[in-house]
Amino acid sequence: MTATPEPDRRLAPAAKPVWRLQQLAGWAPAVIAGLLVAGQLEGLAAAAARWLPLAGLLAATAVVPELRWRRWRWDVRPEAIDIRQGAFTIRRTLVPMERVQHVDTTRGVLEQSFNLATVVVHTAAGSHTIPLLALRDADLVRDHIAELARTADGS
Amino acid sequence: MGPDARRLHPAGILVYALQTLREAAFPLIAVFLVGILGSGLDEGALARGALFATIGAVVAAVGGYVRWSTTSYRLTEDGIHHRRGVISIKETDVPLSRIQALDVEQGPVQRAFGVQALHVQTGGGGAGGEIVLDAVGPGEVRRLRDVLGERRPEAALQAPAPEVARRLSRSGLVATALTAGQIGVLLPVLAAGGQLLQTVVGERGERGEEAIRLLPDSASEWAVAAAVLLGLAWLLSIAGAVVAFAGFTASRAGDRLRIRRGLLARREATIPVERVRAVEVIEGLLRRPFGLAALRIEVIGHAKEPTAAQTLFPLLRRAEVRAFLDELLPELADDLDGLAAPPRRALRRYVLPWAVAGLPLLALTPWALLLSLLGAAYGALRYRAAGWRLAGGRLAVRSLVFARTTVLAPAANRESHSLSANVLQRRAGLADVSVAFGKTTRARVRHLEAPTARRLWENVNGGH
Repeated sequence: MTATPEPDRRLAPAAKPVWRLQQLAGWAPAVIAGLLVAGQLEGLAAAAARWLPLAGLLAATAVVPELRWRRWRWDVRPEAIDIRQGAFTIRRTLVPMERVQHVDTTRGVLEQSFNLATVVVHTAAGSHTIPLLALRDADLVRDHIAELARTADGS
Repeated sequence: MGPDARRLHPAGILVYALQTLREAAFPLIAVFLVGILGSGLDEGALARGALFATIGAVVAAVGGYVRWSTTSYRLTEDGIHHRRGVISIKETDVPLSRIQALDVEQGPVQRAFGVQALHVQTGGGGAGGEIVLDAVGPGEVRRLRDVLGERRPEAALQAPAPEVARRLSRSGLVATALTAGQIGVLLPVLAAGGQLLQTVVGERGERGEEAIRLLPDSASEWAVAAAVLLGLAWLLSIAGAVVAFAGFTASRAGDRLRIRRGLLARREATIPVERVRAVEVIEGLLRRPFGLAALRIEVIGHAKEPTAAQTLFPLLRRAEVRAFLDELLPELADDLDGLAAPPRRALRRYVLPWAVAGLPLLALTPWALLLSLLGAAYGALRYRAAGWRLAGGRLAVRSLVFARTTVLAPAANRESHSLSANVLQRRAGLADVSVAFGKTTRARVRHLEAPTARRLWENVNGGH
């Protein structure tokens, strides 16, 4: 039995700044809360409350987007959609083409600013995404998947 | 109303009247109760009560008639058209090709008049139909079935296909009800209790102080109060199970499964077997010690819709599950035992997260140690329950959350599957495999040896 080939297509490089901004937005409340709490505490506890969330934010913004982008791979084959993702937990998912019910592209605020789009594939059990592709690539991938799904004799 | 459009059977007036009454009852009763709290139960209150009841009945009757007279349906060239609504009109068109089945349901009103509520099903059959005709006479049901083209074995010209059926006995129903243990009922009971408490305690003046005096003021009294509430919730869950599962019958004829159940409202659902994606054998906390289990199926509906889960059979002996499935669902039947377990070294990964989770609480109380021990025991139970097998294209995966659940399905029925490993797992050479069969049915086995997990993942795909 031949092993399933590894996917090799990547996301748009602009995905990294988008993720950095998202990390910033995610850690900001923790940093603010830490600064507020630090005012109430003394000594070591205060220093910890003040600097730990900040350290976390810096580490996350520097490390996570880069690691995630390097590991994100995807591919669309006639028989399945192959997705390999994750920074710390790596997950490899296969979606059989005949299970694809429909596919859309979506663009949030950040995606619109960086000229990117996310492809969302819907199955009866839920949806799978290939995020932050260049806008034109996303449209091409969406149409390609739609065509393959149509001919895959869906049930 | 145009030509060919039909109204529902007149029994529908009563059905809608009762619905309106149910909607209006709560506010009316609330107003009545507030009146009692204010001035006590006296003649005036009784007279007011009678007045409210009369107003309620009249409003319900009028509302029921209006709803009945503005609801209509007609058969079009390619399907069925449904129209209802007084102020905002809702029109629904369902093309023939989308119709999965015509399920019927009989509430007490429908049964009294010998009519049925017809659900035009386009989805997996879990929820109500896309179009519901609340009161349809038997002749009309037959006509609709003929025209909307549902192939029923009884209507075939040749001899009808043999039908295999399994019925839930009365003792089975009792056992189901007693072991159902629906925690979900507890929440509304607690909420209602809380509301009552709030309104009574919030009352100013003498009444309020009297009520506060009634509140339990020692730990033992609170424990008694909690026990009473739990007992109430359990009684409600028993009643709910009886109403839902009385007369449960699952049968198989040709390529369709038929499931009938219900005490007050009789429901009948028809499911094409090819749409059943997976079977789950669920051994709940109260059932496992007795070797009992419930069967649930994940059914896919029309394209573009999510799957829906349904009860295939509410209670049977675990040892009989294989025979049951061989009779009614041989396409998915498989053995429950003989599953491969995760490696021994995975045990600590099942146990540690649960044991450690409670430790931060040690700062507050030494009782946190007990919590950790319980967590460790739970983790160990999860390890023991975990198991998998992929043979002849058929997948069997067992896991434990609250109930011990075994998923049986052909690997080809999956919606997607994945192989995952976090940093620690990668370092230790372990991985998880997860297969999704539907919105609620996911088979997941954790902490397998990495090569084993990879091979399983490849083989699930290989069969296609």
